[in-house]
Amino acid sequence: MRSVFLLISASALAAPVDFVREVRPILERHCQECHGGKKQKSGLRLDIKSEALRGGDNHGPDILPGRAKDSPFIHFLTTDDEDELMPPKGRLPQAEIDTLIRWVNEGAAWPDGVDKAKVEDRRDHWSFKPVQVSGFKFQVSSSAQSAVSGKLEPSPIDRFIDAKLSEKGLHRSPPADPAAWLRRVTFDLTGLPPTPEETDDFLKRQDHAAVVERLLASPRYGERWAQHWLDVVRYADTHGFEVNTERPNAWPYRDYVIRAFNNDTPYDRFIREQIAGDALGEDAATGFLVTASVLLPGQIGKDEPSKRLARQDSIDEIVVNIGQTFLGLSIGCARCHDHKFDPISAKDYYSMQAFVAGVEYGERDLRTPEALAARERLKQVKAELAGLDLRLSRFVPIARSGVKRPMVDARENRDRFLPVKAKRLRFTVRDTNNLEPCIDELEVFTTAGENIALNAAVTVSGEKVTADRHEQRFVNDGSYGNSRSWMSNEVGKGWVMVEFAQEQEIDRVVWGRDRQGKFKDRLATSYVIEVADASGAWKSVADSEDRQRFDTRERTQPAFSIEGLRKEEAAEAQRLLKQKRPLDEELQKLDVSQKVFAGTFRIPDDIHLLNRGDPEQPKEPVVPAVLSALGDLKLTKETPEQQRRIALADWIASPRNPLTARVMVNRIWQGHFGTGLVETPSDFGRMGMKPTHPELLDWLAAEFIRSGWSVKHMHRLIVLSATYRQSGFSFGRNDAAKAAATLDAESRYLWHFPSRRLDAEIIRDSMLAVSGRLDLKMYGRGFNLFDKRGGLTGFEPVEMLTPENTRRMIYAHKVRREPEAVFGAFDCPDAGQSTAVRRSSTTPIQALNLFNSRFTLDTAAAFAARVKKEAGEEASKQVARAFRLALGRHPTAAELGDAEPTVRQHGLAVLCRALFNSNEFLFVP
Amino acid sequence: MNPDLLSPAGRHLLDRRRFLNGSATALGSIALTQMLGADGLLAANGPVIDPARPYAPRQPHFPAKAKNVVVIFCAGAVSQLETWDYKPELIKWDNKPLPGGPAVTFQGPAGNLARPQYDFRPRGQTGKWVSDMIPHLAELTDDIAFVHSLTSKSNTHGPAENFLSTGFTLDGFPSLGAWTTYALGSENQDLPSYVAIPDPRGVPQNGANNWGPGFLPAAFQGTTMSSKSPVRHLSAPGVSAQADQAARSLLQRMNARHLEGHPGDQKLAARIASYELAARMQLSVPEITDLGTEPAHILKMYGADDTQNADKAAFARNCILARRLIERGVRFVQLFNGAYASGGKLNWDGHSDLKAQYDVHAGILDQPAAALIRDLKQRGLLQDTLVVWCTEFGRMPFFQKGAKGRDHNPDGFTCWMTGAGVKPGVSHGECDELGQKAVKDVHPLYHFNATILHLLGLDHERLSFEHNGIRRRLTNVEGRVIPEILA
Repeated sequence: MRSVFLLISASALAAPVDFVREVRPILERHCQECHGGKKQKSGLRLDIKSEALRGGDNHGPDILPGRAKDSPFIHFLTTDDEDELMPPKGRLPQAEIDTLIRWVNEGAAWPDGVDKAKVEDRRDHWSFKPVQVSGFKFQVSSSAQSAVSGKLEPSPIDRFIDAKLSEKGLHRSPPADPAAWLRRVTFDLTGLPPTPEETDDFLKRQDHAAVVERLLASPRYGERWAQHWLDVVRYADTHGFEVNTERPNAWPYRDYVIRAFNNDTPYDRFIREQIAGDALGEDAATGFLVTASVLLPGQIGKDEPSKRLARQDSIDEIVVNIGQTFLGLSIGCARCHDHKFDPISAKDYYSMQAFVAGVEYGERDLRTPEALAARERLKQVKAELAGLDLRLSRFVPIARSGVKRPMVDARENRDRFLPVKAKRLRFTVRDTNNLEPCIDELEVFTTAGENIALNAAVTVSGEKVTADRHEQRFVNDGSYGNSRSWMSNEVGKGWVMVEFAQEQEIDRVVWGRDRQGKFKDRLATSYVIEVADASGAWKSVADSEDRQRFDTRERTQPAFSIEGLRKEEAAEAQRLLKQKRPLDEELQKLDVSQKVFAGTFRIPDDIHLLNRGDPEQPKEPVVPAVLSALGDLKLTKETPEQQRRIALADWIASPRNPLTARVMVNRIWQGHFGTGLVETPSDFGRMGMKPTHPELLDWLAAEFIRSGWSVKHMHRLIVLSATYRQSGFSFGRNDAAKAAATLDAESRYLWHFPSRRLDAEIIRDSMLAVSGRLDLKMYGRGFNLFDKRGGLTGFEPVEMLTPENTRRMIYAHKVRREPEAVFGAFDCPDAGQSTAVRRSSTTPIQALNLFNSRFTLDTAAAFAARVKKEAGEEASKQVARAFRLALGRHPTAAELGDAEPTVRQHGLAVLCRALFNSNEFLFVP
Repeated sequence: MNPDLLSPAGRHLLDRRRFLNGSATALGSIALTQMLGADGLLAANGPVIDPARPYAPRQPHFPAKAKNVVVIFCAGAVSQLETWDYKPELIKWDNKPLPGGPAVTFQGPAGNLARPQYDFRPRGQTGKWVSDMIPHLAELTDDIAFVHSLTSKSNTHGPAENFLSTGFTLDGFPSLGAWTTYALGSENQDLPSYVAIPDPRGVPQNGANNWGPGFLPAAFQGTTMSSKSPVRHLSAPGVSAQADQAARSLLQRMNARHLEGHPGDQKLAARIASYELAARMQLSVPEITDLGTEPAHILKMYGADDTQNADKAAFARNCILARRLIERGVRFVQLFNGAYASGGKLNWDGHSDLKAQYDVHAGILDQPAAALIRDLKQRGLLQDTLVVWCTEFGRMPFFQKGAKGRDHNPDGFTCWMTGAGVKPGVSHGECDELGQKAVKDVHPLYHFNATILHLLGLDHERLSFEHNGIRRRLTNVEGRVIPEILA
């Protein structure tokens, strides 16, 4: 910038710089390649007056009229810093720089009306405009089937499709054979193949509408369609990231989604429940808000920037989820800069954050009637257990009374002593059986039997943190077991100190390594318990010296020893123990049944616009407001947390929102045809694909709203249409088909039904169903696909069939990012990011898995056993039955002739294994 | 579809289909438009993938310097100060507080500055100072291009390993290897195109996300394999060879008959082809994981014969496996050194007692990894192969309070590359004199990843995939190639 000052005075002598003649050519030649119509690097555009004067993302305004010296625009042209210099290819000729400096200093005159380009109105986009229902109106009955003829009449859908086909010179294919339609619609609505009996029944009665009603009423329907939804919201049963810990109570949300589809919960209500279910008596529905991966407290850095970034990431996931799931918009890009293509500014984005700025990821109590009852029961059980414990504790020998006390036990230990006043209590570990000591719970009881350590202030010598497992706070949180425990950071030693609110008289300490009895390592084998009264004087009240020496060979020692007790005492103790056992068991069960990992809510954070998304660079504060291009709903800063979410949900779930209904009917359409009318189901923005049939999409959206947002109504309309009923691709059929294939290979215009490979879950479920092993138990805690339910590494698959894992795959405990050993390769989403469309890739790994896995061999064996039972010993009957079960049809003579000798020679399981791998089994016809 | 790559049965099917269609050209055009997966692949810049041969070799954007890649991924964050980035000032400042330094870092309060825990000495022609912790690797410095000024977007292992492997801190984005094989396929159709070899002690912190396909087709995910545990489901347990063959041939006939009813359907043909590929893999994978044919001097060179150090011997066998995979044209091999979070016991996360822990880890890494590079070189493979050494971030110049280890440092750390297309013997970029922050030629990891793609003939801005409305890239909206380390 050395030369700038000289030139200022020189410029006064020359005629004023002319923008069009002198400035614009320089901008065109050197700048607009990156800062013009095609690209706007750093958000800067130099071909349109308004945009240029507004400036880019980082330095705007870049041009300060009259102040070349201060203008970033001139700085970047003249800087000596090579990393900053513009253009990056090399410095402009000095004469051109001089011209630009003069131009800026003279006031950066940029005449109106000379620009060659115009700012596009980014709001001028089809999906942001109201749903249009123009042209023909139809009367739609719940069944499009004519009762008299038994034939299906063309539905409104068919008229839209046919209109487009004839416009393209294409024709609908003839109807598929009835068995193929039945198989198709059964897979589509329930994710399972029809049984031979269902096929026979349909072929006899040919009542399409009755079939559809039967399928929609089946609980299997919700299990199938919930899967689509869980894909989109990236549901999983672990927390993700490095530790990938189990998220043990995520599944009530999964069950909520299944129930919602089965009940045909109106879609607008479905939206409201997921965003603000806590206000609607549907706590589990708010699991939607927190489906993403999240860093748990112990995993976040202790420095403040780490905490702020983690919080921003967790709110971002919620906003992104809402945007893409309900609105089909990628809002997330605006976290760092205004959206490049859609009319979503960074301010819009942070205003959306403000709606959910009080949402935390956590567990909350389920308030279903069952859960409320369970909670009541829990209180009772705990009270009863406490009473029994108090009575039992009488039978423990008092420390230092001269009686040898039993050796320490990993499960539970009681130290009784004479009543003493205590303000603080310290438990010091002096040695362990191995490693750093670990204590799952330290309880201190008053003479009245109250545990005053519970949630008291606690200090520890040090800790080795494993987030959500070993943390200081777990040592007195009332939860038992290794996964809620404190671990010292020193081998063989460490101490825990609790401080009570006020001095109290205590007579008992109860502690353990793992009350659930799984872990026996890290046990304090030598320890001392000391107590300080209000004056602060410490004294020792119990230690391990009068216990039996710890010896691991002694494996059979009971948790409670009657040794040293009088005969009557022992009998009484055993009676109490017997009463305790069922209550302990009940307690375990009750604990799980009542929580859901869902949104938990608090006073919202203040949200600021962040420069380039950096939490360390906050700019002006924002209030909750919807995307400015789509509405003007704006709330005050004072709006309470829940009201914010309710307002957002109402705005999304409104019939006037142009995106909501369109996005959902498109997802439903995609579920039936493999591809949506809009090929990019979670992007209805300007980068997304345009609808192939815009009028049809709008008609469906309007019909969806008119029907009361009934998803099942949309299924009926679609699967009973002639479009859905037509046959699949047959390239060899005739010349017309060949020509059509050249024109529209993927059948986007639906000149034939686009067949597709079954999704991973359907393959697995269908193999189990066909083999007679499918367990239809619904809901609840997921079954194991691996030897563990979360954690760092080494997930060993459970490959054998177990009584648990023959349930439908939607009930599997979903470990984020860990592909299921056999079916993961079939494009099963990993729940990292949202999956709006299942891809369908074909790989040799899939072939190896499906051909050789234990799962396939076991289900093939079960299938063979079933067939033998149902068809008897004759090979031809077995082949016929196997074909009917797996493929829904009889074998041809040629197939029979081919399979029979193989079955005779190598056994029926060989045929079953081949059937499970056959293309016919694996494709929706 | 190249008929030569199919079995006689496959060729028969193809011929029959040609016969039925009467037009090979129409079929060809369908092959081009019927893509693997519905979304994205038609994007102007995406590769065109034949569903029947997802791993077929494909052309890069421009002539490539490197055909294959081996990434040596050191999980847990290797300290730059104990390895490649010599900071003699730290010796002067040893055990003194860092004026104006942070009070609290990732794991807690900061302690005093600490000198490098190993001695350094100049090496080779370039005289580059490298630590005595890694004597074998140190001998290779003349061939290496170091980048000493890398930065990460996260100071937490999980997100940071995601960032290194996928360019995003969040879960669920495609890994570098997935992008590479999506773009380029593989030179060998009988082996997986992308192999991830976990450390014998366990998988790294973000597990499968480091070799995941994200939203790319599953075909491009890394297949895990190691000298200890080969690919799953290579054979059917408890099934006799005859029954196995009977099932296979029955399946073949069923599928052939079905295809006759659906002539020209590429998806069906692709599945048939996949079973033939699988059958070949069943033979080629056990062959490649069997190191029995490796001569004694090679085992010795890698340290695979070390009976004193089982972890080192196992890692050495993984290194030999990596070489064998590259030798056979596998596109992308990711070789992990270091497992999951374990207080630094099983990986490079040296928080508590760095020197003691690094003595162990270096003993496992050093000789085998150096031998791998030497072996690739002596076989002429390094001309076509890029070798990358990387870690998710570096470590602080001070110890943690009350400990003898260093905390996480995402603001300045070192990774390097060598081999095809890499300028040998350069050290690019600098941290401040205490090694806390990159100050000269600062490169977010985006740049490092963009450079890897560049060497493979790929433009990181063009290699993209449309996902939920965003044209996704390995380098997000950032990144540039680092020309200073290119030959």
